Amino acid sequence: MTETFGLLLSGFATALQPINLMWAFIGCALGTAIGVLPGIGPALTVAMLLPVTAKIDPASALIMFCGVYYGAMFGGSTTSILMNTPGESASIMTALEGNCMARNGRAGSALATAAIGSFVAGTLATILLTFVAPFVADFGLKFGPAEFFALMVLAFVTVSSVLGASMLRGMVSLALGLALGLVGQDKIEGVARYTAGVPELVDGIEFVLVAVGLFAVGEALYSVLYDSKTAPPTQNKLSSMQMTRDDWKRSWPAWLRGTAIGFPFGSMPAGGAEIPTFLSYSTERKLSQSKADFSSAGGKGAIEGVAGPEAANNACATGALVPLLTLGIPTSATAAILIGAFQNYNLQPGPLLFQTSGDLVWGLIASLYVGNVMLLVLNLPMAGIWAKLLNLPKAQLYAGILVFASIGVYGMRQSALDLLFMYMIGVIGVIMRRFDFPVAPVIIGMILGPMSEVHLRRALSISQGDWSAFLTQPIAATLLILSALVLFVPMFLRRRGIRLGEDD
Amino acid sequence: MTTKIWQVSISCFILALALVFGLGVSGLPTDAGYAGISSRFVPILITVFLAVVGALLLWQSLTGGFRHFFDDTANVRADLRGVIWVSAGILLMALLISYIGFVLSAAVLFVCTARGFGSRALLRDLAIGVALVLPVYWLFGQVLAVSLPKLFNQWL
Repeated sequence: MTETFGLLLSGFATALQPINLMWAFIGCALGTAIGVLPGIGPALTVAMLLPVTAKIDPASALIMFCGVYYGAMFGGSTTSILMNTPGESASIMTALEGNCMARNGRAGSALATAAIGSFVAGTLATILLTFVAPFVADFGLKFGPAEFFALMVLAFVTVSSVLGASMLRGMVSLALGLALGLVGQDKIEGVARYTAGVPELVDGIEFVLVAVGLFAVGEALYSVLYDSKTAPPTQNKLSSMQMTRDDWKRSWPAWLRGTAIGFPFGSMPAGGAEIPTFLSYSTERKLSQSKADFSSAGGKGAIEGVAGPEAANNACATGALVPLLTLGIPTSATAAILIGAFQNYNLQPGPLLFQTSGDLVWGLIASLYVGNVMLLVLNLPMAGIWAKLLNLPKAQLYAGILVFASIGVYGMRQSALDLLFMYMIGVIGVIMRRFDFPVAPVIIGMILGPMSEVHLRRALSISQGDWSAFLTQPIAATLLILSALVLFVPMFLRRRGIRLGEDD
Repeated sequence: MTTKIWQVSISCFILALALVFGLGVSGLPTDAGYAGISSRFVPILITVFLAVVGALLLWQSLTGGFRHFFDDTANVRADLRGVIWVSAGILLMALLISYIGFVLSAAVLFVCTARGFGSRALLRDLAIGVALVLPVYWLFGQVLAVSLPKLFNQWL
């Protein structure tokens, strides 16, 4: 315990350096902006920013990326409350009550409880992360290749079966990602596979290209194809950001419950924030003293229905850093791209990271505390400024996104051919969106696929080719059994009427 | 009806991908080493995975369409002209970037995309495009040292 405090203090020494404060601020501001803006999410933004890893040092870059990641969670609530068009699936529940409150002239209070709730949940979740992560990392040190392989199988199964509406389409996306990940050198023997003799492909397909193609180009093409003629949804007026005594009294317990629900869901390789936000919403509706306020009962919007899900959503985002940092397992597309950022620095997230790059990890964790304070300041008094972003005309917004996307892709290696690939992947992205294939499994499969092959082959080398090693070692066997059970989760959820969407 | 054709085509694309990856296996070494599996093993596994999900998808698309699929674009008329503008923007940029330099080709992309989304103010979009690209060019080039091509070509 005292050891953790010491490490955290040294982390603050890193996080509070002026240069890192600046990167954290840039990340938080950018994250809030993209959270507010429709059509652009944290996964895409971090992917487009990846080239900075060539220039700035790892701590600064990762601090900025994490700022973008949870800044987007703060910003997403603004869109769903003011416009009733949730920026991402994690804010669908917020939109339900928040927009109802906004239509009844209480937009300010809804935004305030969302911002303060995000701050409270983010900070509590960071405290949990601080103390849970070292334990998990210690536990992870016991993991051998067999355990890591089993863990990755679990991650594959959860992201493809829990994300999206249909397990089969999730699996198709995953297969596509795994196939893309095969291209390039095999990590064990260095054999070039599926490169078709093209030297550029020996290093593999750039996942930045795939991420930008799927998220930016795919989104822009989809939007112009189906949404360009629809009038923008009416925007509710922003009222003063004040919460009455009653609001506070109703928000507090909701924030705490939301955190308690969100954090464990984030830290399990279960993918996405929709389940915890949904659970939090239904919990609040059940426990509320004033059920008549809920929009489903024809009320004027219940503040706890905003406070709970928003807290759950943020706690979940922070919780996702536990498996990412301690085991190297991403549970969302953004987390998978963060793994790519680590890899650009030749760092491998996992239990050893806490020992080999302790400064970096603790600096990152400390920056989460700092970032939460920054986001509270950025969001509470300045909500009006962020809301103005919603007035950006769609034409120029998407044009700007595409310009940034092509700069990011072209900047990688000055290849005009890469721009063509980006476009082709964008076309695939539109088709995937049109027919409701989740996109995150592609990215996760592409990044985690080659890693899992390494673990599989190492595990079999150790056991001299004996496959029963995966079933005789208790941790590996448990994880594989869990993976098999997860396959039934969508059936269970569907029976309870929960339709899952995707979180990017 | 067209939806069915699309769904069948998507399934066939996945199956074709399985075929391509399956054919590629033959060129890989078979030396298995201690692990008892060679560089071929995982490609074979993924090929089989692709083939199985592709076949299931094909079966779904032929027997009543994708399951748990709610077509939220059924009543929307697709704006093909817009798509052509945006596509043209990206392809023109890829085509022109080596000749007319970074700023101008990005401005072309900006103008075409804005046009695709229905903007009619060509000159204003051009100005916004250039105003957007210049600082980004500077930021990426100077601050982050991402190497970008020359701002303009010599003759510009």
